[in-house]
Amino acid sequence: MSDVLQAVSAALVETVAAAEAGVVRVEGRRRLPSSGIVWSADGLIVTSNHALEREQDLSVGLAGDRRVAASLIGRDPATDLALLRAEAADLTALPWVEPDEAAVGALVLALGRPGHKVLATLGILSSVDAAWTTRAGGQIDHYLQTDAVMYPGFSGGPLVDGEQRVVGMNSSALVPGLGVAVPAPTVRRVVTALLSGRRVARGYLGVTAQAVPLPEALAQRLGQTHGLLLTHIEPRSPADQGRLVQGDTLVQLDGQPLRDLRDLQTVLGGEPGPAPVPLTLVRGGSLREATVTIGERAG
Amino acid sequence: MTNILQDLSREMSAAVQRARASLVRVSNDETGAGSGLIWSSEGLILTNAHVVHQRTPTVTLPDGRQLPASVRAHDPARDLALLAVKASGLPAMPLGDSEHLRPGTWVFAVGHPWGVANAVTAGVIIGGGADMPELTGSQREWLMVSLMLRPGNSGGPLVDAAGRMLGINTIMTGPAVGGAVPVHIVRQFLRAATLN
Repeated sequence: MSDVLQAVSAALVETVAAAEAGVVRVEGRRRLPSSGIVWSADGLIVTSNHALEREQDLSVGLAGDRRVAASLIGRDPATDLALLRAEAADLTALPWVEPDEAAVGALVLALGRPGHKVLATLGILSSVDAAWTTRAGGQIDHYLQTDAVMYPGFSGGPLVDGEQRVVGMNSSALVPGLGVAVPAPTVRRVVTALLSGRRVARGYLGVTAQAVPLPEALAQRLGQTHGLLLTHIEPRSPADQGRLVQGDTLVQLDGQPLRDLRDLQTVLGGEPGPAPVPLTLVRGGSLREATVTIGERAG
Repeated sequence: MTNILQDLSREMSAAVQRARASLVRVSNDETGAGSGLIWSSEGLILTNAHVVHQRTPTVTLPDGRQLPASVRAHDPARDLALLAVKASGLPAMPLGDSEHLRPGTWVFAVGHPWGVANAVTAGVIIGGGADMPELTGSQREWLMVSLMLRPGNSGGPLVDAAGRMLGINTIMTGPAVGGAVPVHIVRQFLRAATLN
């Protein structure tokens, strides 16, 4: 008799059914709609930013073939999150898991609603790891990866665990080719920022830069082979006000090495403080110490 | 010492064995082979239309017998074909319900992917209907499954945890996503075939 297998199958179906009401369709692009997660019963919907091609004329498809208008509260491309308000006050918000409870190897279902019905794929949590920075400079509190198939239209939908809780919001855009989920702390932080009318703060220097190799002697002294050559300084930007000039090569900012643009994005990724931070640069072949007050840039 | 994973594995093997008992191979003289299943104990065999390339394909039964088959019905629109072989007392595949299937349901696909005999892959039902995102243009009903299908799986059965057939594995739309023709469409096809 196949008791366990049938019970597993029934439990998977039940898990989908339990989360179904909290999974919505987001109509915000010309081709296939994407998915969203009900964040609060009064109409807040979190979804994937990259699948939102327009900011007007949005609508949200709910369980039971209901469709309501929605407005955009804000978007944060760096974490691939967008926040909508659907014109409905009787929604079912899904419970979320804190990342420290998420375990590698756990069974998870990726859910989406690109059409009228909820769809599901099954996999496991492939990786639960430390905070990471997206290519666009977004700070994500934990790295969560699944092997569950990201079916067309699944971005913005939930990754759900066996206890019918959301492990994260699925995005197929943050790391191309991989199913990555954005965990609760990050969603909470971005939602709070977007709701307060702020866009998500991110440090801003006002430079265009490229990685260049350092002269060997300097490289040995600093313990890094590359620095960031400034090719453009925006007028009146924090870099300009800190008297940085085109041709400077930055090697450290706020105690962190700057070896490539990713390093710079990482340092600038957090919310900037008001105090000047130390900066090490190469000008005219010699090392100099300076300070710069990192500005704040939205989005 | 037994645990739930061992029970699960044992039951999965048992379900796969039951499904394999009704799995056949459909081959043409020259152009490739696919899968099929025993629809009736009196020798009716179901497969995809696109697997059948000639008037008398060869059917290899689970017991190893290779028999010439006649084509009773061939429906390219539904991508289904009904063959007949001269045999009786064959183990017909039990049928499941494809109209009330829910996402997350556990499924197996059995067949001969890349010619590997009686191979099985497992996954879940993604969803079903005529409005599946990547197949909206097809105007056909599909059961989409999150499992691996490869050439040679075509015509083979998609079965549930109890080994009942839910559909005929027909297409792959991604490395780990496939589509099956649901069993209720198979019934439509058979009704149409007997009326003609």
